[in-house]
Amino acid sequence: MSRDLNKLLNYSLLKISLIPLMLWIISTLVFILLRVAPGDPVDAILGSGANEASREILRYKLGLNESLLSQYLSYINNILHLNFGESLSTQEPVLDIILKSLPASVELGIFSIFFAIFIGFPLGFFGLKNKGKKGDYIARVIGISSYAIPPFWGAILAQLIFSVYLRIFPIGGRFPITYSQPKITGFLVLDSLLNNNLIYLRESLYHLALPSITLGFLLSGIFSRSLRINLDKTLKSDYVNSALCRGISRRKIILNHSLPNALLPIVTISGLTIASLAGGALLFEVTFSWPGIALRLHEAISQRDYTVVQGIVIITSLLIVSLNLFVDILIAILDPRIEY
Amino acid sequence: MHNNFLIALFVFLISLSQYSCVSNNKSKRIIVASSGKIESLDPARASTLKSLQLLSSLGDTLYELNSEGELIPELASGMPIFSKDKLQIIINLKENVLFHDGTLFNSNAIKFSFDRFKRIGTMNYILGNKIKSIETPSEYKVIINLNKPSSSVNGLLTSINLTPVSPTYYKDYSDKFLNDKFVGTGKYILKRFSNEIQIIDPNLNYWGDKTNNEGISFIGYSNSSSLFGALKSKQIDVLLSNSIDDIQRNNLNLLSINKEIKEGKSPATEISFISLRTNSYPLNNLNVRLAIAKSLNRDFISEKVSYGLRQPSRSLVPPIYKKNKEELWPKYDPLEAKVLLQKEGYCNGNVLDFPLTYRSNVPADKLIALSWQEQIKNILNECINIKLNGVESTTIYKNLNLGIYTAVILDWTGAYSDPEAYLTPLLSCSEIDGKNCKKGESVYSGSFWGSNTVEDLFLDSENLNGKERLAKLIEIEKIASESIPYIPIWISSQKAWSQNEISKPIFNGAGIILMSDLKFINE
Repeated sequence: MSRDLNKLLNYSLLKISLIPLMLWIISTLVFILLRVAPGDPVDAILGSGANEASREILRYKLGLNESLLSQYLSYINNILHLNFGESLSTQEPVLDIILKSLPASVELGIFSIFFAIFIGFPLGFFGLKNKGKKGDYIARVIGISSYAIPPFWGAILAQLIFSVYLRIFPIGGRFPITYSQPKITGFLVLDSLLNNNLIYLRESLYHLALPSITLGFLLSGIFSRSLRINLDKTLKSDYVNSALCRGISRRKIILNHSLPNALLPIVTISGLTIASLAGGALLFEVTFSWPGIALRLHEAISQRDYTVVQGIVIITSLLIVSLNLFVDILIAILDPRIEY
Repeated sequence: MHNNFLIALFVFLISLSQYSCVSNNKSKRIIVASSGKIESLDPARASTLKSLQLLSSLGDTLYELNSEGELIPELASGMPIFSKDKLQIIINLKENVLFHDGTLFNSNAIKFSFDRFKRIGTMNYILGNKIKSIETPSEYKVIINLNKPSSSVNGLLTSINLTPVSPTYYKDYSDKFLNDKFVGTGKYILKRFSNEIQIIDPNLNYWGDKTNNEGISFIGYSNSSSLFGALKSKQIDVLLSNSIDDIQRNNLNLLSINKEIKEGKSPATEISFISLRTNSYPLNNLNVRLAIAKSLNRDFISEKVSYGLRQPSRSLVPPIYKKNKEELWPKYDPLEAKVLLQKEGYCNGNVLDFPLTYRSNVPADKLIALSWQEQIKNILNECINIKLNGVESTTIYKNLNLGIYTAVILDWTGAYSDPEAYLTPLLSCSEIDGKNCKKGESVYSGSFWGSNTVEDLFLDSENLNGKERLAKLIEIEKIASESIPYIPIWISSQKAWSQNEISKPIFNGAGIILMSDLKFINE
């Protein structure tokens, strides 16, 4: 057992040791790509009307007159000191911008995953229960459609139906305009609970509902399809047949034996889904005016706000890499077939 | 089992619909939505319509323009007085005006705010080298010393970027921006600020007329569909946006015609035009430029792209600043265009390839380009072939002065309310070689066109006022219209829409809504 634990520790350390390298590659790529892209913050801030002198002065103020190597070295040095600099367009510290907008995205992500599982798993079970019957086909159509729908279209459609025509949900935003939102952790649902304020809780859930249910529905297909396929596969295994022969009920077999095995690939998929969530969130945040990190990134890119783009990409990459690491270790623990 | 589930789902949806977002606004506060967010409330940094709109409610300028384009004193107690040599402007200030922090507004506040903008203002280039210094001979009198006579300073005095701020409050921010607070003298005080939501309350100590409402809540949505949907589903009271898609603009127009909402319109101040690179083939040929100008059917494009809601224009200066509707640029005349092109050796088997660049992130620009291309295919197919090229706007701005684009669709709104704010950025040039501009504003607008006569007229206009000055500026435009470095397409107004329970939004001459005039009607 202790030998296994040592092996797992070594495996984890090896994976962790790769994180700085990955982050260095990502941060260097972001730096290069931003500089290669035409236009710079001066053009974005001043537009086409400013004269050459004003442009030069602003370029100097923003430190863009220095050589690329010098900018790169100072950028890497700052990152090593966890200093992401200030926004070129607002002079606000990039870390503050990230800390302000990240909780909104994480909150949306968590609730979306929750709804994806909440919708996806029952749909997968329902399909399997009705295998080969009408119910199976219905579940299959819903599952496949959900991940075939382009996220931006799904978001606009949901907004149009539930906000504009039925007027059930707010059109966008994270909190009612008339209330000042609680500020403790940045996670409004959690903050409302910490404030013991049920009205805040209701309002934050009310604003969160439409984007998270819609995104959850679009992600649910992956869960329903993989559960359906993997559970079906495990139910055909020899150990299930022998359990059936021993007279163990089908319900017990599924819950205690088949489901844990079928869930292993789903844990892997979850890791990948979280990464894809970062991309999908961009379109959702823009459609629902959700003040998250993806919307901030979108704005920063159009403003060529180098420091903000760099900071957001590095932090997001760190989160995704860490989550994938966690998933890798979890699978290594759960799946005895994995060697490390 | 299934039935129970369906009943439960039905009850849940019904209960949600009872908790509709529409009934949330029980106060007399008016919710105004627009696109995007506000990065900064610092007048030295503000440049977006939204931030300027908010600042105009929170602060006062020395003067403002009414809807007829006339200068009206605001913080000034009278009209500006020019010295005989026109190198000084004397402005007397209103007394007993308080900033929101309780400190007194006086000449020092004007000096502090102007100097601060000159030092750190993002758009401080609008001052150019016009203002030399500011003197404060007494508490309520300022003297603006100019480097050279400049009658356009009048227009600058209405600029929201020069809104006076409290020197006491901004003491630590004289050399840096204060983004999330604002202390001015305006009708409203800032209650809450975040990038997405801003709340303002009436200023109870305001020196002038009181507000008609109990406060305004501003909210930003990140896309046009959300804005449209929010107004339609009555989640907001007023929609203000110049970036709303044309199809939705048309829908809103139809709703207002059907009296389901109200529509307010500013004087048209935003021009859309095509910049032509005049210093190289093929547009270095005046006849080719003239032919292209004559091939543009503005009415057709306005109808196709904006459903006729944008006003076709053959002028670079908005009518409100010219005081007339005279249009100088060539009219649409495809037959004449064909004759001109034939004269230059095109048409008979020799098609002129005309690369047209548009900003890919501006939907209207793409539609203009596509409509024009189709129109040319129908009438001048054997003479011109428009090749389209979509490029993101920031990239275009970066490359304009490099002469990369043969023709590019752009728009412009003057930084202050004066014809000069339209002509100088497009036509002035500091280094001219023949008819080409080597250095100057026209290089940055992508036309590379220069004229010594125009430069002389610009200088002359600085020494004149009133009608004489306007005549000089119109003469400049006339020269440009004969050389065609640009082709005006249309001129647009800011628009705002309100629910029927709210009064109609009214704009001033600078395209800003008078927020204090908004009110609930059945009070």
